[in-house]
Order: sequence, then C-alpha cells, then structure tokens
Amino acid sequence: MDKIEAKGLNAWYNSNHAVKNVSLRIKSNQVTAVIGPSGCGKSTLIRCFNRMHELVPGAKVSGKVLLDGEDIYADFIDPVDIRRKVGMVFQKPNPFPTMSIFDNVATGLRLNGTKDKKKVSEMVEKSLEMVALWDQVKDRLNESGASLSGGQQQRLCIARALAVEPEVLLLDEPCSALDPNSTSKIEELIVNLKENYTIVIVTHNMQQAARVSDFTAFMYLGEIIEYGETARIFKYPKEELTERYITGRFG
Amino acid sequence: MARLLDLGMDKLTNMILDMAELSEKAVTTAIQAYTEGKDMRSEVFKWSEELRFLQDEVSELAIELIARYQPVASDLRFIKSSMEITYGLSRFGRYAYDITTVLSMFGDLSKCDHSTIISMADKAKVMIRKSLDAFIKRDVEMARTLSKMDDEVDNMYKEYVKRIIESKGSNLRCSVSATLILRYLERIADHANSIGDKVIYIITGESTPRR
Repeated sequence: MDKIEAKGLNAWYNSNHAVKNVSLRIKSNQVTAVIGPSGCGKSTLIRCFNRMHELVPGAKVSGKVLLDGEDIYADFIDPVDIRRKVGMVFQKPNPFPTMSIFDNVATGLRLNGTKDKKKVSEMVEKSLEMVALWDQVKDRLNESGASLSGGQQQRLCIARALAVEPEVLLLDEPCSALDPNSTSKIEELIVNLKENYTIVIVTHNMQQAARVSDFTAFMYLGEIIEYGETARIFKYPKEELTERYITGRFG
Repeated sequence: MARLLDLGMDKLTNMILDMAELSEKAVTTAIQAYTEGKDMRSEVFKWSEELRFLQDEVSELAIELIARYQPVASDLRFIKSSMEITYGLSRFGRYAYDITTVLSMFGDLSKCDHSTIISMADKAKVMIRKSLDAFIKRDVEMARTLSKMDDEVDNMYKEYVKRIIESKGSNLRCSVSATLILRYLERIADHANSIGDKVIYIITGESTPRR
C-alpha cells in the first residue's frame, strides 16, 4: 500500500526549479532511500512531503502530495497537523540545547496538548526505548540533551520525532555527522522502526541506502531518474545515469 | 582519473586473461597429444594445477575488492562473474589433463578412428576461443552463439554413444577411450557455454536459466 504519493510535484526556490515533475509512490512500512548528487533536489523533495519546503522564503510548490490518499496541500489542511503525522530528523543532531533530555522528548507532546503528566512520562520512556536510548539515559533525564554524544543526540532527536506518534519519518542525512559506530546503531534503528512507521531517508552514502532501504529513488537535476527495489537498483540498474552514479563514474 | 576499484578490476581482468591463455594451451596440447599418441600428462598436469592456483588467487582478489569497495551494478556483476569464469577456465585445465590420462590408461590407440574426436575437439576449441573473445570484447552477440554450439556438441556425443551401443563387434578399447574423451570435450563445451552466459550477465544483467 502507498503511504505517500507525489503526483507531478514541482518545487522552486525563487527561480531555482529544484524538483521537476516528480511522481513517486512511497510504500507503507518500508524504507525508501533517495540518493543523488549534491543539489539534485532530494532534500527539497522530502521537505515537500511534510510541507516544510514552504517555510523557506521564496519557496513555491505545485502538483500533489497524497498522504493516505489525501492531498496535504488542499486548502482545508493544517500544515502543523501534517508535520505531526510526518516527522523529520535532520543531518546535524539538534536537541534543544537548553532543555533536559526528558523535555526534549516531551516538548512536542505538550505542544500537541497532552497535559497528563503520567501519559507524557510514558510516551517519553516509550520513545527513548524505541531508539534504544532509555537504558543509557534513564538515570540522567534531567541533564541537558547537549551532554549526550553525537550518536546519542541523534537518537534523542529521533525519539523526539517519534514521541508525537507520527506515521511517517523523514530522515535527511541522519548519519552524516556521526561516527561509524553510531551510524550502524542508527541504521539498525531505521530498519527496526519500519515495522511501525514509513521511512524516507535522504543519504549521500550509497552503501547506507543499499543497507537500510527497501526501495531506492535516484534523483538528478531535480528529476527522478530511476526508482525501484533497492536490490534491483544496486545489482541491475536500468538507466545509464543510475549505473554511472552508483558505480562512481559520475562527472 | 581511474577509480580505485578500476585498478583492482584491471588486475582481475589480466589474471583472467592469463588463465584463458593457459587453459586454451592445455586443451590444445591434450588433443594434439592424443591424436599423435604422445604422453603429455606431466606438462598438462602442471598447467592444470597452475590454473587451480590462479583461480584461488582470482577469488581472493574478488572478495578483497568486494570488501574494500562495495561494488555495485556492472562492477559487482563483473566481480561475481570473474569467480565463475575462472572456475570454468580451471575446469578446462582439469579436463585437458583427464584427456592426457586416457592414453596411458588404454595404451596404443593409433589404430582407432579419431574422426569424431577431432571434429568435436575442433568445435570445443572454437567454443573456448569464442567464449574468451566474447569476454575480452564484451560481445553479447558472440556470447549468445555459444548455446547453439553447445547443443551441437551434446548431440555429437549422444549420437556417438548411441552408435557404439548399437554397433556389433566394435573395438572396445577404441570405443571406450573415445567415449571418455568425448565426454571430457562435452564438459569443456559446457563450461565454454557457461562463460558465454556470464559475459551476457555482466553486460545486460540477464541470467540464463540453467538447462
């Protein structure tokens, strides 16, 4: 089943046409990787999936993005509601520096109106459990989020995204600032999370796409050049451009 | 600038070409030794062992390239196929040696009719050459011609066996020795065909179903 479907999607930054007529189906409970050279539009594409692109001055979007069949750009849709359903984690771990580990995870819940302290505590624990951080931080929940290592901070950010119970998780190069050990932990986490979430990951690291994803989309100059099952893309790409990019013969 | 992986793959190609040359020499020498009644066991055995050794070296380099560079797409298909192709080449060497042992097993075979063996050996040698040329030139069309030739060799072998079963009073020494050699040639042709399949796989990604 498709969780997200982009139909004739275009995105601009002022006159820069960053995403060109993209049509793509993101399958439920699968990991989809978006790969491609720098500036090819992959981050912009996933930012259109939770209406974050429009927050940039001069940004424009046309076409459709359906979430469970419903157009997220329809007039009556509240973008904040979409961003709760479609969470996002960024390249650099960005815990709120002045907040404790606990508050980092709890804050989204409180902003979404959860007042019940017991419920908030339960969700914080559950989210930290999901990212395999609970055992490491349960005795220091009041310490600053910034006191954690880079890899732990990124897991904290994933826990923060998970706490509001999203349906989709967008990961924009979540491991590029992490060491190999933290990277493998995040990769294991991504694969475990797909049982409950639909995941889209933008990555520069092709081997990472090959390791964690079920489907891969290769983008170049704003267009999707090839999309298909990851195993097929990395063994038998159909397009010459894909072959050249993934084998490192590009440019 | 060459990719680091290319340096390794070039080395792999050169090793395969060395093996190709050696395996072709082994088969040609074995056939010639049979038709001329010469004992070439020790030379051909030496080459056959060398081929086995080189095959292990190719496998080692192939897995090293996988471990170091995580190749994908046609690079990955080439590296996987290099291991399978060199297995075929090392089998050429082994069957060539098997052919040289027939003479010592059966003694003088100069009075036997060599015509079927000679014509099948010619075909097998053409197949070896074609499979190697297809690999070197990355020629899919040439590789595709091998399966038809393989069928022809299979039929020659079956027909020969049928003929000697049905013929009364045939010379047992001649017919059994010829059957063995034809069997080895049939296996050689089969491996040449399989090398052709790998060439097709490297270039197109198509796998030929096993027959």
